[in-house]
Amino acid sequence: MNAHGLMAVFDTPADAMRAAEQVRDAGYSKWDVHTPFPVHGLDAAMGLPNSKVGWFTFLGGVTGYTTGMTMIWWMNAFDYKIVIGGKPMFSPFYSFPVSYELTILFASFGSLIGMFLLNRLPRLHHPLLKNRKFCQGATHDKFILVIETADPKFNDQETRRLLASAGSKHIEMVED
Amino acid sequence: MTSHAINLLSAARAGDLQSPSAVLAGTQGGDWKSPARFFAGLRHGVAAVLVALFAAALLGNGAVAAEHAKPEAKAEHQAEASHAGHDHSHGPAGHPTELKKFGYAYLTAYMFCLSLCLGALFIVILNHLFDAQWMVPIRRFLEHIACQLFPTMFILWLPIGFLARDIYPWMSEEMQRNPDHALLAKFPLFTITAFYIISGVIFLVWGFVAHGLRRASLAQDKDGAAVHTRVMRRYAAFGIFAFAFSLTGAAIFWMKALSHQFFSTMYGVVYFAGSVWVMAITTYWLLLYFRNRGDLKDVTREVTFHDCGKLFFAFTVFYAYIHFSQYFLIWNAAVPEETFWYVAREAGTWKWVGYLTIFGHFWFPFLFLLPIRNKLNFTAMSMLAAWAWTCHYLDLQFNIGPVLYPDGLHLGIYDVLSLGGMLAVLTFMFTRAFNAHPPYPQRDPRVAEAMGVYVEPASGKAAH
Repeated sequence: MNAHGLMAVFDTPADAMRAAEQVRDAGYSKWDVHTPFPVHGLDAAMGLPNSKVGWFTFLGGVTGYTTGMTMIWWMNAFDYKIVIGGKPMFSPFYSFPVSYELTILFASFGSLIGMFLLNRLPRLHHPLLKNRKFCQGATHDKFILVIETADPKFNDQETRRLLASAGSKHIEMVED
Repeated sequence: MTSHAINLLSAARAGDLQSPSAVLAGTQGGDWKSPARFFAGLRHGVAAVLVALFAAALLGNGAVAAEHAKPEAKAEHQAEASHAGHDHSHGPAGHPTELKKFGYAYLTAYMFCLSLCLGALFIVILNHLFDAQWMVPIRRFLEHIACQLFPTMFILWLPIGFLARDIYPWMSEEMQRNPDHALLAKFPLFTITAFYIISGVIFLVWGFVAHGLRRASLAQDKDGAAVHTRVMRRYAAFGIFAFAFSLTGAAIFWMKALSHQFFSTMYGVVYFAGSVWVMAITTYWLLLYFRNRGDLKDVTREVTFHDCGKLFFAFTVFYAYIHFSQYFLIWNAAVPEETFWYVAREAGTWKWVGYLTIFGHFWFPFLFLLPIRNKLNFTAMSMLAAWAWTCHYLDLQFNIGPVLYPDGLHLGIYDVLSLGGMLAVLTFMFTRAFNAHPPYPQRDPRVAEAMGVYVEPASGKAAH
């Protein structure tokens, strides 16, 4: 069996935050902090850049807007011309409400799909879910930092020492 | 235990926020009351954008004048005018008198300054309605701006009151003698007596709400009592309704009444959305200015600017939504009683002002503000503030100007003098008020939270 990563349990968000800063400064890249509730400032402590989901949202929105405009132009002014209320065959004004709604719809699709892609979802199982200590702690009152063995900087002894010096009272290797 | 942890968290967060200080152009220390210090927070970019835009507007203005000096253009214009026949959209045709020119320029400048004051009043009310902590740092200077509504803005309104018969076509003697159907249909409201009474009431309402809010806020600085917060909430709760009615009244009586035949249920909301839009970016800019100057250094964090930027972004979308709704309903219904208003605004250079509202007022800020980092780019946001002021001013020109100048946008010395003079008066009054009081609510229950500091509640201390 392979090892998934080294798990360090902290009692308070402040401890986890300080540990995250140390791990960030040590240059690790494949690691994460699991908390029972959102902790403000943790992303900065982890050195996480802004999420890329926004780009998926934006692309979805642009797609929706152009789809709406093109669809209405194609149906009303090109494929089957119908005069309605003496209005022009195509006008951005009457096309706008529908295009706008498609913008929102596709933008939300983009956000959802982007979130799934970036999180590598759907995923049926994760090694951490087998660990009783993790499941009980991360959903209740513990703040858990996990550094994966796949990290290029990972070294069993040194990483363990780093996490111990950060103040963790329980460090454990999680099996895959 | 937990509170201790969060305390440390806040400290960690506060430490992390020092990075944008490198972007600041603010000077440290020194006597900020000296004139040189006054400009310390100003950026060259803002001035450059304003000057460039104003120069562009003047050039465009010159081009229009040259176009109309040509004989064939004149003939064409006359043919057009005779073709239009009994078109009721235009007020005073031909060459307007100097008094009229001044009146329109003054009215435009006045509505611009009124936007700033009303926007400030709205954001203060919003602060209390939502019990928002991030607004505490910006609240005090907004309270001062809102208090300019009365008496400063009332005194500045008086020239409009005196010139009303020259400015508003429906008040002209001829119209009063032979009122048209549209004027008769609006009988109880659109009478000269009602105009002055309602205008007076509007100012009293604004004065009551704005000063009530500031009085309680200043009183809290002294004793820190919670009762003041409750008083402010009560003012905000009825104030939001009073604000909605009075703002709509002001927009209708002072601006829409220029074309009294026109009606649009969205008109007040459009003016409201534009006002808060321009005030949101002005707030951002003032926050930056006062932070660079040092007054708000202790309470301002990166997240304050981010939230301010988000408010501006929200109103960018809201204004577009509201103005589009007004245009779309009129376009779709195609009723001549309503369409004439936009038809008049498609003539000459007004068309380009309209395009500026679509692309400069909405699309450009909308796309620009999407990424977070742009909302925190102080140089870019300051330039955007200058851009927003220009767009909003031209939007008001778009509302007011075509009644006097059907051929296109006219900017002249009256516009410059009115706007400059009025802004000078307001800046003077505002600075005097700002310097006389603490720069932010000192003992607001949420001020510590706004600073990013955790203060243990009194009951929690007793338990330890």
